[in-house]
Amino acid sequence: MSSRGGKQKKGNVTSEQEEEEQPLQAVLVADSFNRRFFPISKDQPRALLPLGNVAMIDYTLEFLTSTGVQETFVFCCWMSNKIKDHLLKSKWCRPTSPNVVHIITSDLYRSLGDVLRDVDAKNLVRNDFILVYGDVVSNIDVSQALQEHRHRRKVDKNISVMTMVFKESSPGHKSRCEEDDVIVAMDSKSKRVLHYQKTQGLKKLQFPMNIFQHGSDEFEIRHDLLDCHISICSPQVAELFTDNFDYQTRNDFVRGILVNEEILGNQIHLYVTQDGYGARVSNLQMYDSVSSDMVRRWVYPLTPEANFTDQQGQGCTHSRHNVYRGAEVSLGHGSQMEENVLIGRDTSIGANCHISNSVIGNNCTIGDNVVLDRAHMWNNVHISSNVEIHQSVVCDGAVVKEAVRLNKQCYFSMLPVSQVVIGPNLSLPEGTVVSMHHPEEEEEDDDDEFLSDDQEVGHSKDKTRQKAFNPAEVGPEGKGYIWKASMNDTEDEELAQCLWGLVLNPDPESDSESEASEESQDRSRSVSPEIDDVNAFQLEVLGTLQRGLEENIVCDNLVLEINSLKYAYNITLKEVMQILTRVVLEYPFQQQGTQLTTLQYTGSLLPLLKTWSPVFKNYIKRAQDHLDCLSAVEELFLEQDTHQTAMVKVLMKMYQLEILEEEAILKWFSTGATNDKSRQLRKNQGLQKFIQWLKEAEDESSEEGE
Amino acid sequence: MELQAVLMAAGGGSRMMDLTYNTPKPLLPVGNKPLIWYPLNLLERVGFEEVIVITTKEVQKMISTDPKVKLDVKMKLDLVCIQEDADMGTADALRHIQQKVKTDVLVVSCDLITDAALHEVVDLFRAHNATLSMLMSKAHEFTETVPGQKGKKKTGEQRDFVGVDGTGKRLLFMANEADLDEGVVIRKSIMRKHPRMHIKTGLVDAHLYCLKKSVVDFLADNKSISSIRGELVPYLVRKQFSKSTNSPKVIDETHQNLKKNDSNISSRDEELLHLTQERSCWNDHRGDMSDAYHGGRLRCYVHIMDEGICYRVNTLAAYIEANRLAPKLFDEPAVHPSAVVSERCLIGADSIIGASCQISDKTSIKRSTIGVSTTVREKVKVTNSIIMHGVTIEEGCNIQGSVICSNAVIGRGADIKYCLVGSAQRIEPDGEHTTASPHLMSKACSA
Repeated sequence: MSSRGGKQKKGNVTSEQEEEEQPLQAVLVADSFNRRFFPISKDQPRALLPLGNVAMIDYTLEFLTSTGVQETFVFCCWMSNKIKDHLLKSKWCRPTSPNVVHIITSDLYRSLGDVLRDVDAKNLVRNDFILVYGDVVSNIDVSQALQEHRHRRKVDKNISVMTMVFKESSPGHKSRCEEDDVIVAMDSKSKRVLHYQKTQGLKKLQFPMNIFQHGSDEFEIRHDLLDCHISICSPQVAELFTDNFDYQTRNDFVRGILVNEEILGNQIHLYVTQDGYGARVSNLQMYDSVSSDMVRRWVYPLTPEANFTDQQGQGCTHSRHNVYRGAEVSLGHGSQMEENVLIGRDTSIGANCHISNSVIGNNCTIGDNVVLDRAHMWNNVHISSNVEIHQSVVCDGAVVKEAVRLNKQCYFSMLPVSQVVIGPNLSLPEGTVVSMHHPEEEEEDDDDEFLSDDQEVGHSKDKTRQKAFNPAEVGPEGKGYIWKASMNDTEDEELAQCLWGLVLNPDPESDSESEASEESQDRSRSVSPEIDDVNAFQLEVLGTLQRGLEENIVCDNLVLEINSLKYAYNITLKEVMQILTRVVLEYPFQQQGTQLTTLQYTGSLLPLLKTWSPVFKNYIKRAQDHLDCLSAVEELFLEQDTHQTAMVKVLMKMYQLEILEEEAILKWFSTGATNDKSRQLRKNQGLQKFIQWLKEAEDESSEEGE
Repeated sequence: MELQAVLMAAGGGSRMMDLTYNTPKPLLPVGNKPLIWYPLNLLERVGFEEVIVITTKEVQKMISTDPKVKLDVKMKLDLVCIQEDADMGTADALRHIQQKVKTDVLVVSCDLITDAALHEVVDLFRAHNATLSMLMSKAHEFTETVPGQKGKKKTGEQRDFVGVDGTGKRLLFMANEADLDEGVVIRKSIMRKHPRMHIKTGLVDAHLYCLKKSVVDFLADNKSISSIRGELVPYLVRKQFSKSTNSPKVIDETHQNLKKNDSNISSRDEELLHLTQERSCWNDHRGDMSDAYHGGRLRCYVHIMDEGICYRVNTLAAYIEANRLAPKLFDEPAVHPSAVVSERCLIGADSIIGASCQISDKTSIKRSTIGVSTTVREKVKVTNSIIMHGVTIEEGCNIQGSVICSNAVIGRGADIKYCLVGSAQRIEPDGEHTTASPHLMSKACSA
């Protein structure tokens, strides 16, 4: 297939004509590699979930075809058979299709990175290609972006490896995906991406200085961009993924390219469209907004009545207020379809229903007096009378019994065999998830997050656990398990939140975040880290000494290590000595607990002092050092007042080891007392004797000297 | 009176000591006019009738005697002296004249030479009821060789980072490269309000500010701020996005005080403005439904000139460049009527000859400025140079790319290239001086 022999880094010279002749290729990744749509995606791969009664992958393929792609590689992993079946039946695999679709399946893909490495291994792409996910809905004409990309590559000799397509959309816009909230710093003239960061959870955005040193004097920081997850890639992208086996996602790739830009010289550019529509259905919130945008005709010409999938019986009529009706829809007396409603074929709706902003699938039955608002109902759903559904997803084959109320953000998962049944007379709170799968089986599968062939395992477990549906949760006649209730695991709670994406806060860090707090932060920053550093340094010193004992490291090396720590934590020499003294003297407590008797304490400490005396000597040189060391000793024994008698022994040992000089000790004894406690300490008998002894020794030595 | 003009003319010109040693900066001749004439003229052109000039005693004396200022400037000059050695910053100076400030102020620096349309800045100030609006311009590359500099020196100054919103008017961020050790840090809330921020680096601040009166009052209460550009402006820019702090409260309070007093017109306008803003569907931004300006009280705006002349004469290079461009600003005869110019000499159209000059035969003057009462003898060639007042150039000299300060005497046949000759210096005849020696000469003059 490929004319490219072996790998050529950069500069595979293709003449312009050749480029023109080659068909445009696309890589479509029909797997999300995450579990945002769990448990729905347990039975149906995300790419096949219906959006406006059409599988999402059809939108993606239609987008690719209309933009001029002639050859598409669809990579499937999870439930690849289903996707394959779907595609083989679709118009894309008809002989007349302008876009040749190749389906490549493997259970081994774990990430986008794996897919692209496989693209490289199989030499599938010959030229610039478009990379999309199977859940992208878009009508952007990327040909201009493609042209810009090619132009850049011709001018800059293959430096630009990727052009990312963004849609302009201000913060707070409904179709903005909170997870994809990105901030991009770019060169205004060349449209080059200099910095790319996800901002989720960040309060301050930091841009390193080096990105502003590219000779340009105008930069742009943009927060009004929605990532369409459409990228125009050079063939090098696949190679780069192969070279960097740690790249898993496109995010890894972009960050890697930007960080290594100076080394590898690769650049990433961006293309911003203002009027096109492009979004990736990456969570339920996005599903909701993309679906409603679709019904409101923002994705024109991809509209519900267009029947672009060219399937028999899919056609519907479009009337005022964006109401679409499929074939054979029956509507009861007094029912109103207010606006933005799409109803699939063979669906019957009872009397006095209020339906607005909703999508209803094929073969659904809806009873009387039903209120639907922002409801997404898939195929074969049965809704009894007097039901109210707000902002919820009701999946295939679900049954909702009488007088059930579904509040915001509920959704039911479906199972092809046995369906979820809810009710009657029940009100489900916000954010409820009901599925025929028991949540626990999911927990057990956790080890293999992406493994697709655990489906059978799940089934077998399902049977064993079929017995207990909780009527309080799903109603007297209900069948199904509440997901959120049994999820105590933090990870799962996180997951449950993620189903609907993050809740949109109008302005999480609003104006109340005052400069004052910022300033106080500044102030505290100047003080607090120092304390932290000292603490951290103390721990590090302790660790070093411990290791020194265990591994018998020479004292010189310990000194080296402590010195390097000193620089790492920016500790002054005086502090080093104080901390060192403290760490050594506390060492026995550290190792054997604080319950030591004085005798035990000195017994274990004195040998240590001997071992580490070279370390001490290294730091205690000047007269002031001696005094500092002594005050550190004093401080410690003031804290450990039960062991004060040990102090004299410690001092004696240190004197004998020539760590401390007698002059210093005498000076400390006579002048160092600053408060009552330390005066008290100096009245210790042993200490007084020791000092006496020292004085005499000094006199003797001085006499000898004379 | 909507705006009071304040002209800051007390700066010492510390970045061009060679020139300002004898002549204070406001009186340096640029195109044979004292530097201070340019901002005064700028203000006069747009219709100011009175201007407060903050200056030193020395300059005050000289201004009151300077013929150019006396004759040309019809505005009433209110000269306020500050102590020279007090080391007062621009904000200090503004605080000094607080009593005189009755309305919003327009602060101009004396070293600004521009043909900017001043109304652009003021309109921004009016339209958005801004706290601050200022003028900036794209930085110019200085093309001329600067005396005393070998080759092109890279500007050692660090770049200013200026962040403006999508319209290019609202000032969102301002910092100097020197303060950005940790990189550019921007709060996300700012990005949410202004999702598109242009960061520009190649800009010069013209040091022309429209400030609300409340800002001057605020200065009076906060004595720690001493410079407008260095402290006040960055402070205001930062404060735009924080409400509940002490200091902006001060500003808010003064806003309210103004309202209560209700003694002048602008405060009554203020209330009306709030009302209109409330009732109006107008908004300054797109993309969300929050109030105009997101409810912020402080607003800073900047007008960035794309083209036109905008120089701040604060370095030697800028001084030379300004001299080269100054003639283009006015339609005045290049040769002053009172100058005596021999017919057999060559004077380029891009040169200026000052009053009562004497230019003798066979001289050639190109791209140069010749000051008042200067005598140029025979066979002299002057190119790309600035000759100040009262200079005597003897026969056969060749002067190129140099600055000759007032009252210097250039000996016969001297060859001077890219030099700066201090005032009242005597250059030996037949000497040859090139870039290698100019500093000696300027030092000699200052010694």
